[in-house]
Amino acid sequence: MKAIKILERVLVTIPVMLGVAIIVFFFIRLTPGDPVDIMLGRGGAVSAGQMEELRHQFHLDEPLMVQLWYFLSDGVRGDLGYSYIRNKPVVDLLVERLPATIEMTIGALLVSLIIALPIGIISAIRQNSLVDRLSMAGAFLGISMPGFWLGIILILFFAVRLQWLPAQGRISYDIHLQQVTGLYVLDSLLTGNRAALWDSLKHLALPSITLGAGVAAIVARVLRSTMLEVLRSDYIKLARAKGASEWIVIMKHCLRNALIPTVTVVGLQVGVLLGGNMIVETVFSWPGLGRLVVDAIFNRDFPLIQGAVMVYAFTFVLTNLAVDVLYTYLNPRITL
Amino acid sequence: MNRIRTWTVARTLRQGAIASTFAGLMLAGCAGPPASTPTAAPGSGPAAAAPAPTSAPQVNAGTSTPARNTLTVAIARAPASLDPADHRSRESETVIRNMYDGLFTRDTKGGVHMEIAESAKWLDPKTLEVKIRPGVKFQDGSPLTADDVVFTFERTIKENAIEYPKPHTSPRKGLVEPLVSIEKKDSLTVVMNFRGPWPSGFQQLVQHQIVSKAYVEKNGTKGLVDKPMGAGPFKFVSATTGLEEVVMERFDGYYGGAPDLPPVGPAQLQRAVFRVIPETSSRVAALLSGEMDIITEVPADLVDTLKKNPGIQVKTVPGTRPLWMDMNVKQAPFDDARVRQALNYAIDKDLIVKKVYNGMARPLGGPLSPLNNFADPNLKPYQYDKSKALALLKDAGWTPGAGGMLAKDGKPFTFVIDTIDSTRSLAEALSAMLRDLGVDASVRIWESNVVVPKLLAGERQAYVGDWGDAAFDPVGHMEAKWSTYKQGSTYGRASYSGYSNSRVDKLILDGEVEGDVAKRHAIYNEAQKLIYDEAPAVFLVLPEAIEAASARVQNWEPAADSRENLHDVSVK
Repeated sequence: MKAIKILERVLVTIPVMLGVAIIVFFFIRLTPGDPVDIMLGRGGAVSAGQMEELRHQFHLDEPLMVQLWYFLSDGVRGDLGYSYIRNKPVVDLLVERLPATIEMTIGALLVSLIIALPIGIISAIRQNSLVDRLSMAGAFLGISMPGFWLGIILILFFAVRLQWLPAQGRISYDIHLQQVTGLYVLDSLLTGNRAALWDSLKHLALPSITLGAGVAAIVARVLRSTMLEVLRSDYIKLARAKGASEWIVIMKHCLRNALIPTVTVVGLQVGVLLGGNMIVETVFSWPGLGRLVVDAIFNRDFPLIQGAVMVYAFTFVLTNLAVDVLYTYLNPRITL
Repeated sequence: MNRIRTWTVARTLRQGAIASTFAGLMLAGCAGPPASTPTAAPGSGPAAAAPAPTSAPQVNAGTSTPARNTLTVAIARAPASLDPADHRSRESETVIRNMYDGLFTRDTKGGVHMEIAESAKWLDPKTLEVKIRPGVKFQDGSPLTADDVVFTFERTIKENAIEYPKPHTSPRKGLVEPLVSIEKKDSLTVVMNFRGPWPSGFQQLVQHQIVSKAYVEKNGTKGLVDKPMGAGPFKFVSATTGLEEVVMERFDGYYGGAPDLPPVGPAQLQRAVFRVIPETSSRVAALLSGEMDIITEVPADLVDTLKKNPGIQVKTVPGTRPLWMDMNVKQAPFDDARVRQALNYAIDKDLIVKKVYNGMARPLGGPLSPLNNFADPNLKPYQYDKSKALALLKDAGWTPGAGGMLAKDGKPFTFVIDTIDSTRSLAEALSAMLRDLGVDASVRIWESNVVVPKLLAGERQAYVGDWGDAAFDPVGHMEAKWSTYKQGSTYGRASYSGYSNSRVDKLILDGEVEGDVAKRHAIYNEAQKLIYDEAPAVFLVLPEAIEAASARVQNWEPAADSRENLHDVSVK
């Protein structure tokens, strides 16, 4: 039953994706800058004939509606077009870059949960204590700190000063890792390559902390306030009255209920993480999707921008679906 | 000048946050490495034109441990391609040049030397005979012959000769435009036929590297891109997605390179790694943490801090990217030469050198970089002279009005300076200086790809930007920057001012084909003087390129054409 419901939800994403595709298609064509001019280098050095040829090759000489039709009909067949700048199919480029971005996003999510869960719980049970005040001040700092700044500070401290962690890249050039999924940590585990595991984890640490810090701060604050609310509810009093240990009260009765709004926030933050990637990937020279998109935007590489935004949108929609599914486990009364 | 001071202070404060964090942490954290030699930058200054690297070959790599014998270089942008014929990017050339050699090469100061070519002589002004050095081997062990040279140039000049990913013409065709055909004379001799005399030929031929005919025919362009194979000092090992990292190792069968440029012989290093680090502060951090041995594009304001670190050496080299503020000569107020001259007098180039470039730049004397082989040494930079500027503007009808701001017929002198992010500080400095004169100039930042078509269409007012002359020759520069814009040709493709002077156009055409050096000088001197006097641009500065390396890197010199010649470099 649940499987059918999930399938239904997956099908509902189709019109959402179609809407995203159409909006993206028109929005990027509103930005100034002609891709053909850009493709041929600094304008002027090529003949008008060559420009027409290129326009024709990429269908840029056709009416917008016809271009949209090409984009959508090719897209349905899994062909997102051909990148103007990189001279490669967009799908190939996305597939090459996506694992790096996924790895960093997962790393950041884990870091944020590892930081946020204990902080949120402790500051709720010890409300207004020194711990609470300190952690909430920390959370405030985490929210306000721009990612690139935190990244640079972390680099200066951990890479330059202490020389514990590398400042950039995904893996050292002298480590050989057989690629399976493209997620280096996972691949190291799958192939039993300890050196690569250690090296890729070290490379992943600073970017994950940088990206995860902001999310950790938000999650900690949300968890704290929902915990406080739940702690005041009657069933907690009941649980205490029937003599349940404080640990059981907090972890089983309180946390599980407080997690529902928290999970929603975490789900929404995945979108923020994907966006934040663009900056963090640049600071840490992380060869992921974010940097590819920034380059694509600067070069008005329409097919590549379209393809990347579709990936972002799809990930976001899927994450929200996952959140909804997770609800049903946290609170069986909720159905899809 | 108090406005300038305000601007300087504001700028300092803005950059101060990051710079001072850097300074503090670097000094605190990086005193670690043993203080070997406090390395300033001996011999790298513009005046110290010491001969190119001369020190004798050092430790043979065979005796060093592999880890110590690997060198890592951080570059700011990824190469566009590793196919020597399929790019127009400096980063590509920087990387490719270590795996491929050309007929000719350049030293770090821009002088041309024979590399794969053993001799070259003009049979007549339109025909060049090149003899190839015997015994040159490709990295797959096959000998390099005339067939490979013919194939390389034909692949560059023939329409649609590159078949992957879709058939297209080499973007480097324009760099060897006058070449009509090339033929093999014997197994080690080729003859190149040009459309007309090509005085800058040797400088331009440096930009082409020889590929193996057999290898490309067998593996196709895709094979060449996936696994480059040339006759250079390093063999390709691996590259990551998007060429974010390229690893290469020493080619033991290397013929030695240009005999004029010692050390001659196989490379000193066992392995070389190029990695892309786009963010400036991350690049600097990677050098400080010891992950990178050489970094390019160091910002001028970090130089002093880096120099204080004994484990780091900072070197500069006069750049090849002079900067101007082009003024749209087809629109008021810049359609009046007096106004354009006035702005030249109103800008204090020395102050810009000092404040914006931390002393690491030099003022431009005119339309060409002072390092160009044909720059007229008699042209001196417009000297800063505010009263002269005001007098010229007064002649043109601009007089001080309310608040000292200039106005003509009741309309204030106001315009927008367009620029891109990398020259923002310079444009802001100009804006402050012009305000001091009574001109209201605001700055607008664009993406280069977006603004250039608008400039060529004459839709903008003023633009601060550069145009390189890595070949140190007026060709590639004069016709692009100062000749009349002709759509669909290379002429005027960077003429953002819309400047057009039929005499200058003619001189530029004459200069391209004049074989006599003295006559060529005379031609270009006349053209430069005309442009200087008509001032379609404010001639600004030529910034130096700044690079830094760990102190363990030996015999390393940044090159004027931003190439990293790792053949000569060793590590201790």
